[in-house]
Amino acid sequence: MSPAGCSHVNGYKVDNWKQNLRVIYQCFVWSGTAETRRRKVRQSDAGWTELAKSCVCHMCGAHLNRLHSCLYCVFFGCFTKKHIHEHAKNKRHNLAIDLLYGGIYCFVCQDYIYDKDMEQIAKEEQRKAWKLQGIGEKYTTWEPTKRELELLRHNPKRRKITTNCTIGLRGLINLGNTCFMNCIVQALTHTPLLRDFFLSDRHKCEMQSNSCLVCEMSQLFQEFYSGHRSPHIPFRLLHLVWTHARHLAGYEQQDAHEFLIAALDVLHRHCKGDTIRDDNGKKANNPNHCNCIIDQIFTGGLQSDVTCQVCHGVSTTIDPFWDISLDLPGSSTPFWPLSPGGDGSTVNGESHLSGSTTLTDCLRRFTRPEHLGSSAKIKCGGCHSYQESTKQLTMKKLPIVACFHLKRFEHSAKLRRKITTYVSFPLELDMTPFMASSKESRMNGQYQQTVDVINNDNKYSLFAVVNHQGTLESGHYTSFIRQHKDQWFKCDDAIITKASIKDVLDSEGYLLFYHKQFLEYE
Amino acid sequence: MSKDSQMRAAINQKLIEMGERERLKELLRAKLVECGWKDQLKAHCKDVIREKGLEHVTVEDLVTEVTPKGRALVPDSVKKELLTRIRAFLAQHATL
Repeated sequence: MSPAGCSHVNGYKVDNWKQNLRVIYQCFVWSGTAETRRRKVRQSDAGWTELAKSCVCHMCGAHLNRLHSCLYCVFFGCFTKKHIHEHAKNKRHNLAIDLLYGGIYCFVCQDYIYDKDMEQIAKEEQRKAWKLQGIGEKYTTWEPTKRELELLRHNPKRRKITTNCTIGLRGLINLGNTCFMNCIVQALTHTPLLRDFFLSDRHKCEMQSNSCLVCEMSQLFQEFYSGHRSPHIPFRLLHLVWTHARHLAGYEQQDAHEFLIAALDVLHRHCKGDTIRDDNGKKANNPNHCNCIIDQIFTGGLQSDVTCQVCHGVSTTIDPFWDISLDLPGSSTPFWPLSPGGDGSTVNGESHLSGSTTLTDCLRRFTRPEHLGSSAKIKCGGCHSYQESTKQLTMKKLPIVACFHLKRFEHSAKLRRKITTYVSFPLELDMTPFMASSKESRMNGQYQQTVDVINNDNKYSLFAVVNHQGTLESGHYTSFIRQHKDQWFKCDDAIITKASIKDVLDSEGYLLFYHKQFLEYE
Repeated sequence: MSKDSQMRAAINQKLIEMGERERLKELLRAKLVECGWKDQLKAHCKDVIREKGLEHVTVEDLVTEVTPKGRALVPDSVKKELLTRIRAFLAQHATL
């Protein structure tokens, strides 16, 4: 099996061979459109017939048995029954193409051959067909370029990733109440897409000074994946954070959630290379205008529908979000019932007054229709007057990484306290019920998901949990992160220990990081 | 051709014409990857190549060695699902 092809193809590579080969791929191997399938093709010398009917063996009429087409003439033959072999011998036509996979077989070499030019044509035609069929891009294995081969040869040291390896795990020294930063760093360094972005060196820095936070993150990933086991001292990161997010500077304990949002914001601002500016030259903090890695991973769209109670006209806005902040039972705003007028005691047959609150409960409450009350009348565009209305939030677009923030710290006028209500959260989460599209289907009376759609798009897996122990005045942050499937570790500043799934799921939960299970190419 | 193979050919033609054959191929591919079949067979192929030696092995060798195992390892659930799909398709477009 030589990757350089065989010399016997040279007899074929004459005249208009490229175009002929393309036609064969388009018609018989990767038929993209209904048109090509209905196309009339030559069925032996007897005349023309429709493609579908012509793809049968000329000797026995079968369409299975690894049908091959001769490349030199119009002949189809079974491979398994050796009909194509007979043809090759009789007519001295040495090349045939496998109609199932598009491989080129040479009867002289007695094996499939891989000619560079032919492979190129095959790949192009396959991509075209996928596009026509609406499949778009599909995964193809990575092949190194010449330059990459050079680099690989000059740098022979390799690190093998096995199922139990601890690469990427590293403790972080606490520089004085900096556990709020440490746990977020642990979550970010274990976000797969972010890790891949930085380890494949994708950041092109355009900042003049040395204060680019994205460059510092890049350094951080290098440190984490270096294989060193000693804890890392993130003093440069801390300094940059103080520089760019003044409100977080100082040695007091800060809120991990605030740090997350501030960090994402600074990273997003520093990803200058990928950002498109709007007409004023200002960078829009808007998912429609920015395509940086932070927006690609973390930005979702939250849809807000305000329905006028009089004319039932709906006014819709969509706002970008990096996280979803969820109210908890035990706060000063009532949690139950989940919807106005509902009894809230049983949902899906579960009784919630006795059991513990779940993340799904919180999400259901978040997306419930809410009466805005007579004191908060909205000007209705349909009625042209102020009317009572209901407001409902749903997810328009889900980010690749969904971060849920359980609002445990209450800072109302009267009290400042921490809500320690246990909220159970799952390892796998399906966001379908909270999507704007689901709400629309429900309203249109469609309760069944269409069978055709393998709706994996809304399934998420937990990969990091940030916990807070203690009180509002003095507390400590730790995190659980998922190293491999079903393998979790607890990160307590410089100390990393193995944790069980039970440890993770039993923990209080403050910030929950979920990652989409299935990613599609765009 | 026997009546059986005539029927098969007719069904196949219909599937190709309506583009359903391509869709079924994609569905099957996705299912076989999901249930780990692809990985199992890939590992088996690697074993065969190691056995025969990289320089001497042909695609024919692999096909001979791998086909029976491949056929046997397809989960019943996948077979059932494909069958249901084809039946549904024929019910919709039956002029046969």
